[in-house]
Amino acid sequence: MKRNKPLALVAGAALLTLAACGGGSSDDGGSDSGADRKFGGQEGGTKDAERQGPAADVEGATAGGTITVYLPGDPGPDTLDPTGGWSVTGNSIQQALTSRSLTQYARDEEGQPVLVPDLATDLGTPNDDYTEWTFTIRDDATWEDGKPVTAEEVAFGICRSLDSEAFPSGPGTEYSKNYFDGAADYEGPYTAKDPKCDKWDGISVDGQDITIKMAKPFPDMDYWGAFMAMGPAPLGNASKPPNYGQKPLANGPYKVESYKPNEELVLVKNDQWSADSDPARHQYADEFIFKFNQDQAKVDEIMLSGNSDSQTAVSTGLGSDKYNDANGQLGERLVQQTSQCVSTLTPDYTKITDINIRKALAYAYPYEDVWIAGGEVPGVTRIPANSVMPPGMAGKKEFQVDGAQITYDPEKSKELLAEAGYGDKPYPITMVYYEVDPLAKATQDQITKGYEAGGFKVKAIPVQESPYNVWLDPDNKVNKTLNLRGVNWCSDWPSGSTMIPALLKTGAVYNTAQFSEPAIDDEMDAIATMPLDEQADAWGALDEKIMTEYFPIIPTAFRNDLFVFGEKVGNPTGDGSIGAPNYKDLYVMQ
Amino acid sequence: MSAETAGPETLGSLSTEPENQDPNSQQAKEIAGKSPIRIALGRLARDKIAVVCALVVLFFIICAVFAGPISHLFGVSLETPLASQRVDGLNNGLPKPEMGPPNGPFTWDHPMGVAPRTGEDNLAYWLYGCRVSLTIATTATIFASLVGVVVGLLSGFLGGTVDKVLTFFIDTFLTIPYLLAALTLAPIINERFSLSDNYSTIQKTSLIIVLATLGWMGTARLIRGEVLALREREFVQAARVMGMPTSRILFKELLPNLAAPIIISVSLMLPAFVAAEAGLAYLGIGVTDGISWGQTILKGTNLTFFREYPQYLWQPLLGVVALVLALNLLGDALRDALDPKTRR
Repeated sequence: MKRNKPLALVAGAALLTLAACGGGSSDDGGSDSGADRKFGGQEGGTKDAERQGPAADVEGATAGGTITVYLPGDPGPDTLDPTGGWSVTGNSIQQALTSRSLTQYARDEEGQPVLVPDLATDLGTPNDDYTEWTFTIRDDATWEDGKPVTAEEVAFGICRSLDSEAFPSGPGTEYSKNYFDGAADYEGPYTAKDPKCDKWDGISVDGQDITIKMAKPFPDMDYWGAFMAMGPAPLGNASKPPNYGQKPLANGPYKVESYKPNEELVLVKNDQWSADSDPARHQYADEFIFKFNQDQAKVDEIMLSGNSDSQTAVSTGLGSDKYNDANGQLGERLVQQTSQCVSTLTPDYTKITDINIRKALAYAYPYEDVWIAGGEVPGVTRIPANSVMPPGMAGKKEFQVDGAQITYDPEKSKELLAEAGYGDKPYPITMVYYEVDPLAKATQDQITKGYEAGGFKVKAIPVQESPYNVWLDPDNKVNKTLNLRGVNWCSDWPSGSTMIPALLKTGAVYNTAQFSEPAIDDEMDAIATMPLDEQADAWGALDEKIMTEYFPIIPTAFRNDLFVFGEKVGNPTGDGSIGAPNYKDLYVMQ
Repeated sequence: MSAETAGPETLGSLSTEPENQDPNSQQAKEIAGKSPIRIALGRLARDKIAVVCALVVLFFIICAVFAGPISHLFGVSLETPLASQRVDGLNNGLPKPEMGPPNGPFTWDHPMGVAPRTGEDNLAYWLYGCRVSLTIATTATIFASLVGVVVGLLSGFLGGTVDKVLTFFIDTFLTIPYLLAALTLAPIINERFSLSDNYSTIQKTSLIIVLATLGWMGTARLIRGEVLALREREFVQAARVMGMPTSRILFKELLPNLAAPIIISVSLMLPAFVAAEAGLAYLGIGVTDGISWGQTILKGTNLTFFREYPQYLWQPLLGVVALVLALNLLGDALRDALDPKTRR
C-alpha cells in the first residue's frame, strides 16, 4: 500500500525531510521520566464473522465535540473516491468514518485488529477452491440521503474498481484486475462506456447476495473486502469520476461537509447512519477536521503546548527531536503504533550473485548509526528487522538468518567477503542518495562509513529526484549502474501475500532487487491455492526459506508511527490494521 | 558698524593648510613623494575600523588556507564517525557528554563540539567550510571583476556600436535572476555529471560560473561610466593626439585611474558572494556535500537543537556574519581612503 506521507514510496529521503522539520517548544520533559512504552503491535489477523452491530460502546465515551486531526507533511488523498483510494491516509480516514465496504476491522481489547463484517452480514462464503465468493449484503445500511444501500450498488462499486484508466492508482489495479474472473479483458464501466456494468459477468447479484467469480483462487477476498474500493457506489452518473471524488456519498457514521485537496477535510455526523447496522464504527464526536500538509514543527508545538487548540486535537506524526519531551510529558497520549512497514536494501540479484556478499552487506550496514543520522529514534520509530514480513503478521516466524539478529559487524562482513573471494580488494557498491536533503546525505555518509569498514568500496551517486524514480525506471542510465537499491513497503492486509510477491516475485514493479527464482515464484503461486488456514504459515515458511536460502533483500528496519492525542481526546489508540490513529473509537471527553 | 560675516580673514582660518605653503617644506615633500594608493593606504592604517576588519579578514584567510594543518593540530578531521559513538540517539540525537557541550564539559578532543545526529566534528567542518566559502567567493570575484573591467573599458572607450552591443549584453544579463539560474542549473548539472567522480568539484565550478556570469554587470557599468568621463580628459586627448595605440591608452592611461573604483567594486563583491554561497548551500543548491557554512546552518536551524545546543547554529552563523561584515566595512573604508572627496 502506498504512503501519502512517503513512507512506502520514497526511501528515506522525503520521510527524513519531514523529520528534519521537527521543532520544539521549551518544556523540560526530562529524558528519563518517560514511561516504558508498549508498542501498539499487531499479532496477525483474527476474524470474527459473527460480529453484529451495534459496536460495543467504548468505556466512558461521551458524544459531542470536534476532533481536529493534524497530518504533518502529509498531503492527504488526491481524491475521496472510494475506488481510487490506495493510500494509508485516505483509506484510514474514509474506511473508518465515511465509506463502508464488504468487511472491516475492529480493534479488540488488546489492540489487535479483528476482521468483522461491514456491509456484508458475514465475512463472505468462498467455494472450495476460493474461485467464487458470495457476500450477503445487509438490508439496513443507508446512504447519507436516507436511501438504502442495495446489493446492485455494491456490485457496481466493485465493478468500478476494474477501471484502471479512470482510477490508475486505485488498489483495484492490483487486486481486482488480477484475481476477478474476466477482469483482465474488461476495461471498466467508464473506459468501456458500459455505465451499468453489463459487459462484465464476473459478478452476479441475486437478491441481497453478491457472487464474485475469480480467475484464480483468491483466499484473501475477505481482507480485500475491507478496502473501501469494495464498497457501494451510486448507480449511473451520480458517481462518475472525477467529480464524485470531490464529494462522495457517505454511508458511514460521518459525511463529507467540505473538502479542499491538500488542505482540509471536514466530516460531520451522518444522521442517516444507524449504529445497529454497523458492527465496528461509532459516532461520538460531532465533527472531524483533518488538516493536511501541516508543518511538523508547528504541530509539535501545538500538541505539546496543552492549550485549548491542542486539547481535542490529534497529530499523526511527531518530530523525532521532540520524542523525549513528548515521551516524558504526554504519557498515554503518545501512541506508538507499528505501521506494518519494512525498510529494505535490495542488492541487485543479477549483479551480486553470491549470497555471502549479500550477507556481508547486511553485516556492514550500521543500523543504529543510520537511524540516528537520519533523525529516527532507535528502538522507537525504527526497530531491527529479521525478514520481509512485518512483526505480528499472521504466520510470521521469529527466525534469524544466522541464528541471531544481524547487527553491525564489519569484521564478520570482511570474513564473508573473503569467503566469496573478495578478501584482497574492496568489493564495489554503487548506490544513490537524495542529495537535496542533508539528512539523506548524512545517512548515506553513515552507510558509506559502515560499508567501507566492512570491506566494500562505495560509490554514492547524488540524485535530485526521488530515488524511486531512479530505481523503478529500467532505462535510467544511473539505475543501470546501481547494484544496491532499496524499497520501503507496507502491507495491505495482515497476510504475506501483500508483502512477499510484491517485493520478490519475478517482474514485480517494486522488486528492485531483480530477484528471480522460478522455484520461489511457483511456491508463491502454490500458496494461493492452499487451504486458507495453512496459507499464513506457508507464507511465513516461504519468508524464512527465501531469507535463509537466498537472502535477496536486506531488511534494515521495521517502522513504527508516533501519534499524539490531545488531553481531551478519549481512547487514544492506534489502528493496527493500517498504521493510523484509531478514528473509529475516538471521542471527546466532556 | 557690523563686521562682515565671512571676510577674507575668517575664510583663511578655516583651512588647515598653511596659507603660503613652502614647496620645500617637510610636509609638502612627504606628499609629493607618494602615489595616490600609498596615500590611501596611509589613511587606511589610521582608520581603526579598517584595521580591525583587515585583521578579521586575515584571520579567516589563515583559517581557509591552513584548514588542513589547523585541523591536524587540534586532532580533528572531516571524517564521518559512526553516529552512535558520538551522539545519543535516545536523547534527540544530541552529542554524548564526553563529546563536550551541551551535555558535558569542554574537551580539547572537539574544541567546538560535535554535530548532533551525525557526530561530525564542528571545528573541522567550520575550517573547511571557511575554505569553501572563501575559495568560491574569491574565484568568482576574480572572474567577475576581470570580465566587468574589460567590458566596461571597451564599452566606455570605444563607444558607438561596440558600446551599444555591450550595453545590451549588460542589460540582458541583469535581467537574469541569479537565484533562479542557480536553481535551474543544479538539477541539470546533477543529471549530467552525477556519475562523475569529481561531482563535488564540478558542482563548485558550476557555482563559481553562475556567480561570476551573473555578477560582472555592476562592475562593467561602473567602469563604463568612469571611462566615459575620463576619455574626455586632457591627458587622454593628449595621448590620442600623440598617436598612442588604443590598447596602450586603455591599459596605461585609463586603467591606473580606475584603480579606486575597481578595488571598491571587488571589495564589495567578495562579501556578496560569500553570502550568496552560504545562502545557496542553505537552499540545497551549489555545495551539497555538507562542507559549507550554509549547510551547517541548515542543519542547525532545527528548533530543538537550537534550544538545547545553540552553539551548533551560532558557529557557522558567526563565521558568515563576521566575514561578510568585516569584508563590507573594509570595502567601505577602502572607498573612503581612495576617494579624497568623501573624507570623514
